Amino acid sequence: MHQHTRQMTDVTAFAPVLRHIQTREDDPLTDDSAKDRAARLNAAVTACAAGDQSGVDAILGLEGPQLLGLAHRILSRRDLAEEALQDAMVQVWRKAAQFDAGSGSARGWIYAILRNRCLNILRDRKRLSILDPGDLATLQEGRQRIVPEEGWELLAGPGRIRACLRGLDQPSRHAILLAHVAGFTHAEIAARQDMPLGTIKSLIRRGLHALKECLT
Amino acid sequence: MTRLSDEIMALSDDYVLGLLSPAEATLMEAVIAREPELSRRVGRLRDQLLPLDLSADPMPLPEGFAAKVRGQLPAQQGTAVPSVDATPSNASGAPGRRALGLIAAAVAGLALGVGLTGMRPLPAPTVVAVLVDADGVPQAVIDDYGNDTATVRFVADVAVPADRTLQVWTLPSQDLGPISLGTLDRTAPAQLRFADLPDPGAQQLYEVTLEPLGGSPTGRPTGPIIGKGFAAPQA
Repeated sequence: MHQHTRQMTDVTAFAPVLRHIQTREDDPLTDDSAKDRAARLNAAVTACAAGDQSGVDAILGLEGPQLLGLAHRILSRRDLAEEALQDAMVQVWRKAAQFDAGSGSARGWIYAILRNRCLNILRDRKRLSILDPGDLATLQEGRQRIVPEEGWELLAGPGRIRACLRGLDQPSRHAILLAHVAGFTHAEIAARQDMPLGTIKSLIRRGLHALKECLT
Repeated sequence: MTRLSDEIMALSDDYVLGLLSPAEATLMEAVIAREPELSRRVGRLRDQLLPLDLSADPMPLPEGFAAKVRGQLPAQQGTAVPSVDATPSNASGAPGRRALGLIAAAVAGLALGVGLTGMRPLPAPTVVAVLVDADGVPQAVIDDYGNDTATVRFVADVAVPADRTLQVWTLPSQDLGPISLGTLDRTAPAQLRFADLPDPGAQQLYEVTLEPLGGSPTGRPTGPIIGKGFAAPQA
């Protein structure tokens, strides 16, 4: 009986701490929480570079579901998404020593590695040829729907990039989103927008230039 | 700023958007790894576009996912060479030759320890050849200056066993047959000097093979091909 009471006391004593951690995790918009996350991701990448596997656990603990969600949005299939994330984490591990915190955030670096891995899967005909035609159709249809012409604002989240994207002309904005969000190539975007390849290339360059000006 | 570096900057934006072919992206990573200004530019744009990635709906990781990943991690060796995604990368059609040539030229320039901004004063290479393996993954870039000098830079992790030597070859013409441009013990950037060869031409074949220690005993390629590619003239 005495022991039971002590256990209860222990849990109560920790509750405010647990609640505090949870609040910080759940609210990525506060500066403190964003800085904390950035510091923890930096530390995790440094741990990977030093050969400490707990760095991988830390990255997956902080970003795992979001990373898997991103891979699934691009690849439409859960098995491919899991494969992409697994490969990407091995790449993060292998390249960790080359990560330069002065060049950008660890978060941006990790997401870029995953996106590249997803794009390589999408563009690897040998890899896709083992899917049956039905699965391939699901994948292609999924990609068609990622970037709607109406309601694209959802893709941009609540931040400044949304206002900046709204300031672009529609064809530039759509082409940039098709490339970055859905992983389409210049040629695929040209076909979808029914425009010449050269026009698409310059639309994207011009749009990106304006976007960067607005974001800086 | 030179026109070439403007073009490389624009290509680095394409890289962040995911618009380069896998072969081009691999070369671009080799350039970024050695060029801090470009690396910062790429990092900044990535961070600016990150909200687009964060808008995907999160999905719970399957049970035991982290443990599965941990089981696949190789030992950490602290290598300075950018590792290369081994995915076959020739799948998205012919890589944009012009883009590939430009990035390759940047890689070759960096092989001499000269940054992008300092590239123009260099003697322009006569031809640049990107050597790819059987899967189309770039392994090395040869920059031939046409005055019996060339540089070779490896852009992939090529394992060289202790009892083997890398040997660089070219085929100036069918009559001359394959000519050795030099041997290397490891994949560090190297300058090659060789005797009286005709100036390199477009579509001239270059390749790197793995030979017995000290180089091919026959004066012709005998070992497995690490990579091969054709020269692209540099305007």
